[in-house]
Amino acid sequence: MGAFKELSEVAKSLENKYTKQRKKQGGKTIGYVCSYVPEEIFYAAGILPYRITGKGVADTARADAYLTRVNCTFARCVLELGYSEKYEFLEGAVFMNGCDHIRRCYDNWKAHEKALPFMYILPIPHRLTPQGLQWYKEEVSLLKDAVERHFGVEIKPEKLAEASTMCNETRRLLRRLYDLRLSDAPPFSGAETHTILTASSVMPKDKFNELLSSLLDEAETRPKAANGKTRLLIAGSLMDDVDFINAVEDLGAVVVTDTLCFGARNVWNLTEESGDPFDALAERYYYHEPCPRMAGEYKRRLSFVKDQAERARVDGAILQHIKFCDMHGTDNALLKHDLEKEGLPVLELERQYGPLADTGRIRTRIQAFLERIGR
Amino acid sequence: MSAENRMVVERLVEAFQRGASLPDEIDLDNPMVKSVLEKMSDSRRKFFEAMAKNRVARKINVAQARGMRKYWNEVLHAKENGKKVAWVPFNFSPRIFHALGIIPVCVEGLDSMLMMLEEGIEPYLDLAVERGLPDTLCSAQRGVVGLFEAGVIEPPDLLLNGALGGCDPNSKIFEYMAEKWDIPVLFLDVPYYHDQRSHDYYAYEFKEVINTLMDMTGTRLDEDRLREVCELSNQAQELALEINDMKTNVPNPVPHAYNGGDTGMKIILDGTQDAVDFYQISRDLIAENLKNGVSAAKPKEKLRCLFIYTGYYFDGTFTYWLEEEMSVSLLSTVLSWFDHIPIIDTSSLNSMFYGLSTGMLNLPMTRQLKGSWNMPGNWMEDCLYYAERYKADCCVFTGHTACKQAWGAYRLVTDKLKEELGIPSTRLEGDGWDKRVTPMAVIKEQLEEFFSIVQENKQ
Repeated sequence: MGAFKELSEVAKSLENKYTKQRKKQGGKTIGYVCSYVPEEIFYAAGILPYRITGKGVADTARADAYLTRVNCTFARCVLELGYSEKYEFLEGAVFMNGCDHIRRCYDNWKAHEKALPFMYILPIPHRLTPQGLQWYKEEVSLLKDAVERHFGVEIKPEKLAEASTMCNETRRLLRRLYDLRLSDAPPFSGAETHTILTASSVMPKDKFNELLSSLLDEAETRPKAANGKTRLLIAGSLMDDVDFINAVEDLGAVVVTDTLCFGARNVWNLTEESGDPFDALAERYYYHEPCPRMAGEYKRRLSFVKDQAERARVDGAILQHIKFCDMHGTDNALLKHDLEKEGLPVLELERQYGPLADTGRIRTRIQAFLERIGR
Repeated sequence: MSAENRMVVERLVEAFQRGASLPDEIDLDNPMVKSVLEKMSDSRRKFFEAMAKNRVARKINVAQARGMRKYWNEVLHAKENGKKVAWVPFNFSPRIFHALGIIPVCVEGLDSMLMMLEEGIEPYLDLAVERGLPDTLCSAQRGVVGLFEAGVIEPPDLLLNGALGGCDPNSKIFEYMAEKWDIPVLFLDVPYYHDQRSHDYYAYEFKEVINTLMDMTGTRLDEDRLREVCELSNQAQELALEINDMKTNVPNPVPHAYNGGDTGMKIILDGTQDAVDFYQISRDLIAENLKNGVSAAKPKEKLRCLFIYTGYYFDGTFTYWLEEEMSVSLLSTVLSWFDHIPIIDTSSLNSMFYGLSTGMLNLPMTRQLKGSWNMPGNWMEDCLYYAERYKADCCVFTGHTACKQAWGAYRLVTDKLKEELGIPSTRLEGDGWDKRVTPMAVIKEQLEEFFSIVQENKQ
């Protein structure tokens, strides 16, 4: 099986061959939500970290009894999967207080009879300050203690250092993937890239690195996207939905970069590999490209979007947010204002996640945007 | 937009001027009063009539309006008096500003005042959205963004937000205003927990923010002045606790007009003599009610109801309807849950700082909504505490649409209220500030049905 095919297989369903294999062999898998949860802690504990998604939900009837229509559909889909035991292959779930929706998703899941054996929330400050870093380090240390206690393991510094090196390698490889997409005829579409990113978050990193490495080596021989397509950047709320990117690309565009927490924001910063591995890890996660939940960091976020747009020579940007996501909704309003001022066409899009995604309306809006750009 | 496009603060001062000069007795049949009423907007007239009929509520409102008139006048003339103006959310206590000689403006307070204007708040809510702000953000701040967009408000010297972690829309709106209108902004982080470590973290953050604030505004803190503010705040809190004790009586002698004033004082005038005056007047009036066996609900208290979150502010007659037509005593909303604000130890600068920051961490919404629903010092604990303390027969979650963090936990909380105290709850859906989301007639219908079921079961 080719590397891309194998990664696609891994990305397409909740459980994949690695999580199944692990369960069969008595190994543990822990789910986590958000790019502020340091997955290296789990690797160092011999546990497979798995980024929780809300994909594959037909409806959110059970979740809606607790998280309501004013809560974001991603949080509701995750809760639905939790309540309907679709995540029973996980030993636990680690959340963080990223936003009002996701922390309530944690509360409701934890309080429910279908809670996983290990439910944990990792609180992180909302400002980037030395005092906040100290708080976050203490919290990561408490998480480490809780994992050690619950699973009866010891997380040794050398194991943590190994995990950091492995995760850095993943980021370097993914960065190469982003670089390849800078060309006029990118060898990887946006949808393919998101498939690869999804796979990276739900399978062992060492195996992923092998596969991606060989895939990147084959890049030269891959069929290229047609030259001259409209080049787009996607920013905004959590996006692990390859179908969305596919819908954009089916209309004649190519997504060449992003600033998503599933994508570039999670890839761009490396962990310092010298010095104390625990401190280095906490610093990397705390200071990585900030989410809009980090107050007072708007200018840094704007600058990241501008850099990505410039680097990838995009013709336009899609700033999407899941309905009721005030964090990204507000940031997108500011970004639209600032990016358009600099001449970059922007489509601001409110969307739903999962079964409520209204594909028809979204396609029409994107089509109109592409016509407006006139490429 | 505003007919004359006049600056909004000037118009608010005029409105409070009218409110503060109400006589003790009002004869609604007096031709002069009638002619004044005819000039009022429909909602203002109804509110005025409801208030005028209730002597205690009227006097409490007048006491509040006197303090507010003076305060808004200071806001209006801040620039010419060389004073800096800082905008804060409702969960940032004004005490430190009063000590520093900076004028604090509570964004939600200002937003609520817009409902007193002839045009109402709605044009400003809409304008903010027309110009880019998502409509899912909170109407309690969105109207103020509309004021900027309409150009009818002077930008403040700085913004200071202390809602991080308690409410996403609140913190994002401050960032939006800062970036869009280039206003300096400071943020104060709120920790997830409510333990000693969190109090220490918050106290450190608070001190840092105040130091930066002084540098930015060129102000300096005088210890004696801070002590004076803290002592006034302590006096006010002792009186407020005394009044809250009176709420435990059956029937409840405390009209809901007091709760609104209580919130207004805590978010705008805490630490001033005007706030102390308000509490003294209110305490005396309510004590008189208690002594005479006068119930806030008329003619006789049928039910005691606790709003476990916010209320509906777009219709000033709503709480009078509850008390006078439904005979329901509205014990309080989350916005007047101030019991856990400590009396400040004024023995040193450090103890005062710590007392101020501890008080802030216990302000409504910050205390209840910052962390997990059932952690110590959180929403569930407070719902149980106030429902039990005030002997509530039932609870209402009004469902303010922007409060996603409350919507995401109300079911857990109300299940607990039923399980532990046997108190039934209902969930409505409506916007506290925007009357178009759920019309008042619909809200009343739903509440009437709920009250009738609770009443039936009670009997």
